[in-house]
Amino acid sequence: MGRLIFLLKEGFGGLFRARFASMVAVATVAISLVLIGFFLVVTINLGRLFENLRSRVELEVFLDDSFDSLRIEELEEQIQRFEGVETVTFISKEQAVAEFKQLFQGQEEDYFETLGFNPLPASFRIKLTESYRSSTGAEKVFRYLSTLDGIREEDIVYRREFLVLLEKYFEIALVVDLVIGAIVCLSALLLVSNNVRLIILSKQKVIETMKLVGATQRFIRIPLFIQGVTQGFIGGLLAALFLYGLIKLAAVELPGYVKVSWELYPLLVLAGGLLGLAGSYSAVRRHL
Amino acid sequence: MKPLVRLFNVSMKYPNGDGLERVSFEVYGGEFVYLVGPTGAGKSTVLKMIYMEELPTEGYVIVDQYNSLHIRDRDIPYLRRKLGVIFQDFKLLEDRDVFENVAFSLRVTGARTREVKKKTLRALAEVGLSHKSRKMPHELSGGEQQRVAIARAIVNEPFILLADEPTGNLDPKTAVEIMHILDKVNARGTAILMATHNYELVNRTHKRVISIQRGRTLN
Repeated sequence: MGRLIFLLKEGFGGLFRARFASMVAVATVAISLVLIGFFLVVTINLGRLFENLRSRVELEVFLDDSFDSLRIEELEEQIQRFEGVETVTFISKEQAVAEFKQLFQGQEEDYFETLGFNPLPASFRIKLTESYRSSTGAEKVFRYLSTLDGIREEDIVYRREFLVLLEKYFEIALVVDLVIGAIVCLSALLLVSNNVRLIILSKQKVIETMKLVGATQRFIRIPLFIQGVTQGFIGGLLAALFLYGLIKLAAVELPGYVKVSWELYPLLVLAGGLLGLAGSYSAVRRHL
Repeated sequence: MKPLVRLFNVSMKYPNGDGLERVSFEVYGGEFVYLVGPTGAGKSTVLKMIYMEELPTEGYVIVDQYNSLHIRDRDIPYLRRKLGVIFQDFKLLEDRDVFENVAFSLRVTGARTREVKKKTLRALAEVGLSHKSRKMPHELSGGEQQRVAIARAIVNEPFILLADEPTGNLDPKTAVEIMHILDKVNARGTAILMATHNYELVNRTHKRVISIQRGRTLN
């Protein structure tokens, strides 16, 4: 019991005794985790944004006015059967008019009255499954649709250029994101390992004395681990609080754009503890 | 009688050329032995061999049941609990008071709280510092700091106290006080091996002297 109390006292007491080193350690972990957390939030939201844009991509197949309802049903079935197709929605000529009118609301002239007939064709709107939401995926669906009887390539419309552009930007964003992520992780590692050196330096005299009076390796190491983990946890907690504030602020400034699941915060605290443990472990391995 | 400490043909070289060459001697229970020689002669190295901070490259050191040829790293802490060591620069922990500095030796061995208190107070009484147990090291004079170091070294009731120039940083009057305390510790049965280059101090007493020069013992 006396042993346990001593180890805990030595561990937690050491935090206060080496105040400066402790504060630097906590700040180091906090800064590293804020950077990593920020990077994660950006990456996750970037991914979400692209996914959102991609999910809106759809193909539209315009149908010849001569198709009867049987032919239309048959076509719908054929389209639905293709593996890249998630949903097929039929837009009748009348619905097309309604949509057209909504789109050009407020315009005085009524084209349909002037023309005396409805020139808009019926169509199928096709949403793609997740794995097909790319330019190559959409192209495959396009190719398939054009093989169907009565459908020509010019009857199929989708935003091919938009998809290509989106993918190009996503690729650039991903590379930039990865480079930033690598820099952030590397600097976190450097900061923590430098900090480890500082902790050992601040403890050299205590460690020397402990060895001299016959403390076992384990007895010397346990307080250092306690300190490392505690510093890490506090650093993680600060990072979580800071990011929480930052994300709340971002939610006010850019409503709906930044979303983070709550698991990020306990994850940061846990990562802090682990970072602290890894730091003290490597310090102990190297210097004791 | 079996010696407490035995060095047999101990040799060891530091990269700068200093070290020990075929050093042999023994220390018996209750003895007070001076290890004298000029600075850099190898006195501190001899003491380090005994508390096994350094191990010989040739020969061997036996302390109690531990032999430098066979000792494992994990045994060294247990060897050190049977020794007391004091230094010229005291090596006190500046971040805790006198009581905690002395108690530290017991706490790291996992001693019970009540035992820690009893033994610490007794060791402090022995060096005459009971009234300063709550002072911080920087509030004490050099002589007092060395007394704290002695209390820390004897609190575990070691069979030998190794003293590395313990009066080196002190004025003559304080040095004499420290010597009195060491004599008192010795009188209670603890053997003492004291390294010093203060020949005057050595000549004043009639104790066994081991001379060391350029890493060799002379007699």
